[in-house]
Amino acid sequence: MDPDKDNANPTILNPSDLPSRRRESSVKKREDGGVGLFDDLIPAYTYLNDPFDLPASSSDSDSDSVEDIDAQEIYDLISSISDPEHPLSLGSLAVVNLPDIRILPPTSAGSPISTVVVEITPTITHCSLATVIGLGVRVRLEQALPPRFRVDVRIKKGTHSTDEAVNKQLGDKERVAAALENGTLMGVLRKMLSTCE
Amino acid sequence: MPPPQPTLSPALTLHRLATLQPTCTSRTWQSVPHPHLPIIATAVSDRTVRVYSLTNFSLLHTISGGHKRSVRAVSWKPHSQGQSVLATGSFDASAGVWRRWERGGGDVEKDFTRESGGDDGDDGGDEEDDDYNFSCILDGHESEIKSLAWNNMSGSLLATCSRDKSIWIWEELEEDNFETVAVLQEHEADVKCVAWHTAEDLLASASYDDTIRLWKEDVDDWVQVALLAGHEKTVWWVEFEGAGLKNVSEGGGGGDGAVGEEGEVGRKEFLERRKLAGPRLVSSSDDCTVRIWRRIPKENQHSSGAGSVPSILRSHSVEEEWVQETILPQRHDRAIYSVSWSRKTGMIVSAGSDGRIVVYQERWRKEVANGVDETLVPADELARDGKKNSEEAAARSKEESASLTEWVVVAEIEGAHDVFEINHVCWARRCDKGKRSDDEEVIISTGDDGEVKVWTLDEQSNNGP
Repeated sequence: MDPDKDNANPTILNPSDLPSRRRESSVKKREDGGVGLFDDLIPAYTYLNDPFDLPASSSDSDSDSVEDIDAQEIYDLISSISDPEHPLSLGSLAVVNLPDIRILPPTSAGSPISTVVVEITPTITHCSLATVIGLGVRVRLEQALPPRFRVDVRIKKGTHSTDEAVNKQLGDKERVAAALENGTLMGVLRKMLSTCE
Repeated sequence: MPPPQPTLSPALTLHRLATLQPTCTSRTWQSVPHPHLPIIATAVSDRTVRVYSLTNFSLLHTISGGHKRSVRAVSWKPHSQGQSVLATGSFDASAGVWRRWERGGGDVEKDFTRESGGDDGDDGGDEEDDDYNFSCILDGHESEIKSLAWNNMSGSLLATCSRDKSIWIWEELEEDNFETVAVLQEHEADVKCVAWHTAEDLLASASYDDTIRLWKEDVDDWVQVALLAGHEKTVWWVEFEGAGLKNVSEGGGGGDGAVGEEGEVGRKEFLERRKLAGPRLVSSSDDCTVRIWRRIPKENQHSSGAGSVPSILRSHSVEEEWVQETILPQRHDRAIYSVSWSRKTGMIVSAGSDGRIVVYQERWRKEVANGVDETLVPADELARDGKKNSEEAAARSKEESASLTEWVVVAEIEGAHDVFEINHVCWARRCDKGKRSDDEEVIISTGDDGEVKVWTLDEQSNNGP
């Protein structure tokens, strides 16, 4: 294997094990029905991540047309991003995982702002590309989601040696904006995102 | 801990007076009003600066062709005579200086010497005289410039700060001839914002390292004179209070300022102490707080009253002692990118990622419990390298400033830039025809949506103009 890579032998998930709505919708079942093929495969995921089940959300948000994006959609947007050093997707490397995606509703009645929180799991604890991967996720979501969503990308606690430092960088709007004006970095990001859609 | 939050309902309403036209198609970072003309400059991520009229809210000039990346910050040079001088700071790591001769106000002095100063492409005929001409470039920073500011006193010092962790102070010796007088490198991470004191050459800086630092010239060297720790995350903005004391507002709702003779004396002494300390500093942070910091005047350090332990002598030291005076009522739930202190009314406005604009006013407290404001935390106590006796400092600050005032939210608006983040907010003199007095101020907000909006503060009952 390539000795230059941070993690030359990553664990790779079988594509059929990845959470997906496509198969679920093909059997015409809603996620709230809880009987889709998808639920059988990964039952815990929908339960833990249904944004409408979050205690903070209002009881009848099911009918709230504004809150029409769920964790699965977020997952679909970012799982197809390519890893910067492997020809594999972040989903198949389990860098992004459905249970680590949360959608937080507006904090006050008058606020139009929802927040998407994505926790990423770097393939190994000292992965130097964690920041780039996080940036890719943030950029992908900022481009794909309506602007009323704030995107918070973090390293999952305990999975990276410098997670706090990386989190701070990923949360800094000004640093992210400047990074996107850096041609070299944008080249890397463009390649990562080229496998989306 | 946040101070107990007065639950008065906002007394004023923010009304949108105008959106500057045309708007930009990309993120706008900051808008700064001219020191004396009714115009405002906006830093835009499309590498340009837009100059808009505050009289009719339309675009006057687009300054382009200078920077290779986003323009992040702008600053007008104060006290400039006969010309407008604008400094621009960019993600391309350079700062630019631009000049335009002012027309209308007196005869325009045709000074051809400026043509000799480092202009590239002298295709300028008479037409060009109406534009902002590139004057010079300040190179030195290694990465993005985040903020820059001319000093208020002489207007000849320009401070710039960068992700490279440094602050540079440039002195304009003569037109277009700048000399680096200091490179300050104590911050441990990106320096987000620099701001000058309004009555002396004291510089404040805010950083990604969560601290605020103050800087001053000691004999010939610029040195750090204070470290203000307290914020728990990146400090995005700092700004000093205007020079000269503002009246503290009487609390709303019936009190009629009936404080009695004793109260009056207390207030008088309180204002005396405040005058001695000079303008305060306000800061805003990713930790969702707005904090006010106050200087402990030197005189008091040496002649402090009975019972105080003699302090360690720091004679001839330029070091200053600053304490956190209070945390404003917490109304933001995401990073607060900008805060501004009105030099006319003493009100404070804040805005940030959550899209809210919040206006605060300082009032006399109704009653003072035990005469001590528990929110007073000496900055030194929290300072990482602070070695001073914090107990002593705490005692002193309590003794001196049992706060007779409190801050209340007087106006608030949600989604001021629709769903977009607000990068900057500031006060400006109202200049359009509808102004209700010469003193009236407007609030200017600058957002990710490329829009710069002008807001008036109206009495609740009034539906605005």
